[in-house]
Amino acid sequence: MGEPRPTSGSANHDGLDEFDAPAEVAASARTQRRIALAYGLLFAIGVFAAPALSLTLPWWSGARLAGGMSPGFVVAAGGLYAFFLALGVAAASLARSVEVRMLGTSDEEDPLP
Amino acid sequence: MSGLDAASLAILGVVATLVSVLAWRRTRATTVDFFLAGRQVGMLTNAGAICGDYLSAASFLGVAAAVYASGVDGVWYATGFAAGFVPVLLFVAAPLRRLGSVSLPDFLAVRFGSDHVRLAAVVAVELVILSYLVPQAVGSGLTWELLVGEGIAGLSPYATGIVVSTVAVSGIVIIGGMRGTTWNQALQFGFLLAVVVWLAALLWAGGFSYPQAVEQASAAPLQAVVGDEVVEVVNRLDGGSATFGEPGARYGPVGQLALLVTLVLGTAGLPHVMNRYFTAASGAAARTTTVWVIGLAGSFYALAVMLGTAARVLVAERADEPWLADLTVDGVLRVPEHALLVLGRLLADTPGMAIVAAAAFAAMVSTIGGLLLAASASFGHDVVARILRPHGGPREPVRAGQAAVIVVSVVAAFLALIVEPSQLLAPFPSLIATMVTWAFALAGSALTPVVLLGIWWPDATARGAVAGVWTGGAVAVGALLVGLVTGADPSDGIGAVLLAPALVAAPISALTIVVVSRLDPAPGASVAVWTRMHGTAHERQMERLARVTLRDRR
Repeated sequence: MGEPRPTSGSANHDGLDEFDAPAEVAASARTQRRIALAYGLLFAIGVFAAPALSLTLPWWSGARLAGGMSPGFVVAAGGLYAFFLALGVAAASLARSVEVRMLGTSDEEDPLP
Repeated sequence: MSGLDAASLAILGVVATLVSVLAWRRTRATTVDFFLAGRQVGMLTNAGAICGDYLSAASFLGVAAAVYASGVDGVWYATGFAAGFVPVLLFVAAPLRRLGSVSLPDFLAVRFGSDHVRLAAVVAVELVILSYLVPQAVGSGLTWELLVGEGIAGLSPYATGIVVSTVAVSGIVIIGGMRGTTWNQALQFGFLLAVVVWLAALLWAGGFSYPQAVEQASAAPLQAVVGDEVVEVVNRLDGGSATFGEPGARYGPVGQLALLVTLVLGTAGLPHVMNRYFTAASGAAARTTTVWVIGLAGSFYALAVMLGTAARVLVAERADEPWLADLTVDGVLRVPEHALLVLGRLLADTPGMAIVAAAAFAAMVSTIGGLLLAASASFGHDVVARILRPHGGPREPVRAGQAAVIVVSVVAAFLALIVEPSQLLAPFPSLIATMVTWAFALAGSALTPVVLLGIWWPDATARGAVAGVWTGGAVAVGALLVGLVTGADPSDGIGAVLLAPALVAAPISALTIVVVSRLDPAPGASVAVWTRMHGTAHERQMERLARVTLRDRR
């Protein structure tokens, strides 16, 4: 990841009591990006695995879990929505805790690395 | 039209108008108030409004239609629509809000420090809005045709539905601005969710078994109406007869991949949905709002899939009822988009159909409202206030935006009027959902790559962004035009890629941004912009002020 272009003065000081040091923000953004990519990979595996399994594993579409519902149907018609929600809750909590831990801890503005 | 049908539509219209007038009394004619509802929309209200914005005719009528027509292959529409919010949560919601813009083009212009980026994004946004508006208008026409069956002032029923919905929504948006549109969208989503829950409850109360319905629907080969004849649907995977519960009724491997990628990528580039994030109180609120959206939209889609399955079984069982005979051939619906409306009548007689039709109109009205407002913000703020008249008064962008609402709605209505749904139903069995996919393809190709790279890659430059928007947009539009003109098969192979082109166009756009930015000697994101977009100082300050205020009150 490149670094943002330096500009003169504080980036987000604006005369407020709270401010973000650019170096802190750059580090936090890198961490957030790693988290987002990791969860994004998990999401992609979940979303694309279901149709891939229906093409490669006959059991996925042929077996019956209840009535006429195959594992593929159950996952597509309900399971994936629960997966999206669980993933979303976990990702949002982690992103929030990273912000709380990594931002707003400096006493004064740091120079860019 | 029965008295009940008229009453349901009238109630919908009166409530929407009252909400808009109420909002108008609280809205000042300033950019932040008219376009962003003062940036003070609560999380649950905003989640409801985002769902109302997003769940259009394609979701309400289209998902059930796709499941009715194609079984498990149609389910992927619902999955793709719901999945689209996960990338929004992971990559977009919080930084988008924190930069504090008015519209998607404004966000990109601030991030890249360039009005060239703003203009390129405005063009892409207006194209996405138009391509999204047309299927909503088509949906209004089809619903009016089925529900009312009569035209007004010499117009056909289909044309009347289009004209009535666009005129009504334009008025609501012009009067209520973002505040009125937000309240209307949240209320209308509540209504949609209540209707699908109600239909599901009626099914269960009548002894409906979801697993048995899938089994019953899968017992015989899947059939569709082509012209006036019923034909067996061919399985795209093995060439045999398709069945409801097994893949292949609609897509081959490439078709399914192209559809999913297009829907997943497209959401983050939809201007009417992304604009809603600017109304959130903070970046953290925007993120939490998205979690709510994923939960609410997932619940809605899971129920819509079940209702599409129920329609497949119940319509075939009761096709001999006289009113249904006109709509079916040998127990199969002529127009799959009628599935949910017909199910409403099967479960609760005429009132059921009237309520479902009112919900369908609510879905269209809320989405059309969001789209018109996004068009209004792009034109009023980005074109007029930022480029044409940067020193104009605070009311100018609002007035220009209100004028843009009228122009865009007239163009969309005109395009919908020249579309012949009956001609398109053979190649595209769930027409509305298919047409909306084209808007997703354009958004996912022209806007999503530049939004993602702008947020997460500080070296992305303005020239890279402009090149990416134009390249992604051009490839997507070109592919769609070639696909439509040549009558490409949307189910698989090259035809599927041409008609859901984000699979190819989005990577090309992203690659263009990276290559041009690398070659560009200009700098990337400034520290000021980066810190605002990824920092939380403003939010912490607001929280501190809130704590101090509360303490002082005690």
